[in-house]
Amino acid sequence: MAKIVVEHLKYRYPLTDELALKDISFTIEPGEFIGIIGENNAGKSTLCQALVGIIPNFYKGAYGGKVFIDDLEVAKHSISEVCRKVGIVFQNPFNQVTGSKLTVYEEIAFGLENMGLSRTEMMERIDYSLKLLDIYQYKDRNPFDLSGGQMQRMAIASIIAMRPEVIILDEPTSQLDPQGSEEVFRAVQSLSQEGISILMVEHKMEKIAAYSDRVMLLKDGKMVAFDTPQKVFSLENLEQYGVNAPAFTRICKKLGIKNQKNGCYPVTLEEAEGAINLLKNGGIADE
Amino acid sequence: MKSISLYQDKNTVIHRIDPLSKILYILVAIIVPFLLASQIASAAFILVSIIILLMGKSLKRTVPMLGFSGLILITVVIIQGIFRPDNVTPALVLGSVVFYKEGLLFALGISLNVINILMSFSILVLTTKPSDMVETFVRMGLSPKLGYVLSSVFQIIPQMTETMATITDAQRSRGMETEGNLTTRVKAFFPLISPVVMNSLITTKERAIALEVRGFDSKQKKTFLTEVKKTRSEKVIKIVLAAVLILSLIGRVLIWLR
Ligand SMILES: Nc1ncnc2c1ncn2[C@@H]1O[C@H](COP(=O)(O)OP(=O)(O)OP(=O)(O)O)[C@@H](O)[C@H]1O
Ligand SMILES: [Mg+2]
Repeated sequence: MAKIVVEHLKYRYPLTDELALKDISFTIEPGEFIGIIGENNAGKSTLCQALVGIIPNFYKGAYGGKVFIDDLEVAKHSISEVCRKVGIVFQNPFNQVTGSKLTVYEEIAFGLENMGLSRTEMMERIDYSLKLLDIYQYKDRNPFDLSGGQMQRMAIASIIAMRPEVIILDEPTSQLDPQGSEEVFRAVQSLSQEGISILMVEHKMEKIAAYSDRVMLLKDGKMVAFDTPQKVFSLENLEQYGVNAPAFTRICKKLGIKNQKNGCYPVTLEEAEGAINLLKNGGIADE
Repeated sequence: MKSISLYQDKNTVIHRIDPLSKILYILVAIIVPFLLASQIASAAFILVSIIILLMGKSLKRTVPMLGFSGLILITVVIIQGIFRPDNVTPALVLGSVVFYKEGLLFALGISLNVINILMSFSILVLTTKPSDMVETFVRMGLSPKLGYVLSSVFQIIPQMTETMATITDAQRSRGMETEGNLTTRVKAFFPLISPVVMNSLITTKERAIALEVRGFDSKQKKTFLTEVKKTRSEKVIKIVLAAVLILSLIGRVLIWLR
């Protein structure tokens, strides 16, 4: 499983004046679930594309620094090489449909055919990923006849079937209903438990708080925080970065309720409940 | 979803035949009558094609195509029948118009050839999934990129017409006139076309990236999900077709030697 190392990454889009990524450095361990947050135009999508090599291979412009997936330096390899280690799912599921395949089953096979896998290997992987995303019953449908949520799950399944060691998801649940996005988070979490690293851009802070091991906060192309959800959402000046903490955190902030163990505000319902119970019992944990 | 391809999904023996065999059939059906210079051979292949199309439950779908080419063929019959230079034997007199035997026979030959070609292509086009057809070409050495373009045309063009319809609906519901005389239509076209073009430019860029991250540009040799059928009957079909071709070649040589 792969470790991600980013060193002093800088990037400017062609024909623009300002850097979209400003000297970003971090390390991500195998199997970590990372939430990426930040206001609009903070550079979240740009960072995601740099991790797969879309930047600088597809988008030119000014590039500096290094991105390593284990010992593979992303900028020095083609996207088709990098995509064997790093998969990416985008926001708009419609534009991720290849358009050359007539069924969901064949659609998922697209990437696997390009990888040169054997037929039996392909079928095994397709079945696995269709079931993981709970769309096995649609396998014979035309990809364009799926609903937005089903299409997005198909897009995720297409990437999962390629068995990358890192999966990046850029706002994958924006087209899904609450239940659909919960399903996606669960599926993705089970992958991270298998050792696949997950990086997910998401605006639903409650979800980020509940699922992430660490949260990366971006603002104007800079990484302003990269820490546990508790630490990041407890930042005093969070609003300045254009991010709203989860509802539970905001309430606890107002009420001045902190989690005694780490000195941060609670970020999930369970955590808030625990902290409140602790207060009610006069500071003695009720086990 | 609307489809621009003529193919219709039906579960028949003919639909299951390897596209390569169908392509081979087209070649044989065109080459053999040409080699033998025989109208009877053309007629025979037309008959075979009709039987195959019947088995594939797709004969009816050839009617529009035949109708269209029929119009052209009728003009050929009329012009050749009346005006062909070597016309000598009158065959049919309609008032002051005389049709000659030589011209009619010549027109018959052309018609048989056209119909034969049309029918044999119909088998491939009407009973083969476009994607299978393209895949067969890619296996035979067509570049996967060109293959992608060909097969996505079948899917993405109907998709674009749908986008068009959505945008027209949206504009109409906001009170824009999109129907009526030519000037109204032309006026309605420009506000329609810019969102469609913008939309498809963005879509195209995003789709290109989505294809790349699924290894489309990979130097790895591609494999295929669908299996090439290697059943006995497929082999028999190909052998029979090859045999017909070889026999007619021999026939041609014999005709020369005589
Ligand atoms: N293709 C492009 N060409 C030029 N500039 C771009 C391009 N894509 C993004 N940018 C610019 O780069 C900056 C970062 O954009 P990016 O899309 O990474 O933000 P984001 O955090 O993903 O925002 P959002 O939440 O809206 O998705 C923005 O200022 C944006 O205008
Ligand atoms: Mg974005």
